[in-house]
Amino acid sequence: MTSEINPSYEYDSQLLPQPAVNELIELWRYRDLLQLLVANRIKTRYKRSVLGVVWTLLNPLLNTLVLTIAFSQLFRFNLPNYAIYILSGLLFWNFFSQSINDAMDTLVWGSSLLKRIYVPRTIFAVAVVGNGLVNYLLALIPLGLIMLVMHQPFSTALITLPLAILILAMFTLGLSLLVSTVAVFVVDFVYIFNVLLSVWFYLTPIIYPLSIIPQSFQPLIRLNPLLHLLELFHTLIYNANMPDPRLWGLTFIMSLVTLIIGWLVFTSKVDEFAYRI
Amino acid sequence: MNLPIGSDPAQIMDASAPIIQLTNVGVRYRMPSEKIPTLKEYLIRAIRRQITHQTFWALQNIDLNVYSGEVFGIIGPNGAGKSTLLKVVSRVLRPTRGRVRLRGKVAPLLELGAGFDFELTGRENIFLNGAILGFSKREMEQRVDRIVEFAGLQDFIDAPLRTYSSGMVARLGFAVATDERPEILIVDEILSVGDTEFQMRSFERIQDFQSQGTTILLVTHDISRVESLCERAIFLSHGQIVAQGNAAQVVDRYLGRIHQQEEQRLLEEQSNEQTWRWGNRKIEITQVEFLDENRQPKNIFQTGDYFALRIEYEAHEPVDSPVFGMAIHHNDGTHITGPNTQFAGLDLGCVNGKGWVLYEVERLPLLEGLYKVSVAVHNWADNEMFDYHDRNYNFRVLNKNGNIREKYGMISLHGKWKCYY
Repeated sequence: MTSEINPSYEYDSQLLPQPAVNELIELWRYRDLLQLLVANRIKTRYKRSVLGVVWTLLNPLLNTLVLTIAFSQLFRFNLPNYAIYILSGLLFWNFFSQSINDAMDTLVWGSSLLKRIYVPRTIFAVAVVGNGLVNYLLALIPLGLIMLVMHQPFSTALITLPLAILILAMFTLGLSLLVSTVAVFVVDFVYIFNVLLSVWFYLTPIIYPLSIIPQSFQPLIRLNPLLHLLELFHTLIYNANMPDPRLWGLTFIMSLVTLIIGWLVFTSKVDEFAYRI
Repeated sequence: MNLPIGSDPAQIMDASAPIIQLTNVGVRYRMPSEKIPTLKEYLIRAIRRQITHQTFWALQNIDLNVYSGEVFGIIGPNGAGKSTLLKVVSRVLRPTRGRVRLRGKVAPLLELGAGFDFELTGRENIFLNGAILGFSKREMEQRVDRIVEFAGLQDFIDAPLRTYSSGMVARLGFAVATDERPEILIVDEILSVGDTEFQMRSFERIQDFQSQGTTILLVTHDISRVESLCERAIFLSHGQIVAQGNAAQVVDRYLGRIHQQEEQRLLEEQSNEQTWRWGNRKIEITQVEFLDENRQPKNIFQTGDYFALRIEYEAHEPVDSPVFGMAIHHNDGTHITGPNTQFAGLDLGCVNGKGWVLYEVERLPLLEGLYKVSVAVHNWADNEMFDYHDRNYNFRVLNKNGNIREKYGMISLHGKWKCYY
């Protein structure tokens, strides 16, 4: 009996690298699975509907239409091209909130796979954010159409939009990892976080301009990290300007720190997930 | 291949180091001692440091070396930690304590088709499942045709998985998991995937792997399989290794433990059960026991053993020539025999007060199985029933290590074969 042992498959539970590093290595090893998880989610989502991908495009258009009519008539904000203001904010918000919710769901409710077979545990959260990214990119098409129709200028600064999306994705992933860790240990947290999210929505200038907030409250409301991230997108898309380097720096560092904290917390608790029954 | 007892397999096997090595492995599960309903309460308790976790060790002090090419059995009752042990080896769980070392690719046959998405086609699921098992897209591209062929799903492979029968899904899962020969194969229960033909092919495939040097870790309740397939085994109970070594010996230890428990259970059943009983109780049957040759009560026999039934009675008034009888039923309902004192030509005369009768069998002809016994006492003319206990007493017959090797049917006729040339 000979045994040709493939050295790459050696496993020693005591010689594993730090969980945070190990998880990164494993995630890279399973990159094909990550790609499939993102692709399959999109496939299954649209496979059984007649209009398919069209819904992704149509949905934000209809939403914007309703909100634009409602708010521009109700509040009469002094915002030209309000539709573009609101749509750029909504797409931003949808990406953020849906990714976090999906991440919690897949980890809390879909954890059975993690208890049955080995896969890197961060893979679902990363796949969910990847999936959100794809949806976001698709939704940029109707936004572009509306911008064309409303004669909104396309600034050259828009070439930095991918960077802004990356910063947002980092922040979203970091927070997703953080809240899913909590959600695994406290099941009720899923519901509590949903309430928090709807409050957060109104604390972020998505449907209203920041200028309507009284000056005295401005420092307080500026503690909201999403506000700065959104400013990045508003500046690029709505104001057709290049954001201030300080805004770039602030949002990047904020997102990076969130991601690192989320990653460390998640991976340090990762082995405990499977111990819970 | 049976290793001599007590030999060190490392000296016989070609591989110098164990392919699976567990050193002092322990796994501790944590369960919140009570469900904490809300975050608010959780926070309150966290501040008061009242969150107490019940911990329990699903595995403790597990030392285990499995060598290349071995078929290694893991047996034990439910909840003994067998699944946890497999999870540790398949990397799902990192041990709380101790060390797990593997020197080869592990293919777990625990979760066939893990992560299958029923909206996707069979082909897409092959890639998905393969990726979950840790194979790259490129590797899967080379294998997909072979997998489809082995699963016998050529005509359905581009249809969504939700249109498959459960057998087809299982076949696909098995085909993906076993397409490449792994160094370590983990099998939880002997596979019963698909139809008989596919079961045969999957069994053949596993045997092929084994002959090519794959190490197999087998968990099963089918004890005879462990004896016939494994060289070595462990017996787990309450998370600890009770016995380890030669498979036949470990199985014996395990069976010994089970029989002890069953004997206990049969005895308890007998005493607790509300008897189905009729008769006017002029003579009352007060106790029924099965005995061995030393007149010791016993409920587990082997084919060919001495067997006796003792019926204790109390006659509350003088009764002339009562007849004591018994009947043996197989667990499946077949009535095997119904001897009584009258058929045996025994007239007991006038009976009063306490006494007992004994029915003796020098060599029990019954084969392996559970048997139920009725006892009765009635008058000579059989038109007055004093006491009848219907199938209220159980005994079990094992063929384990008996002199009788017969295994078909219910009885051994103790016949002899002769051969003339």
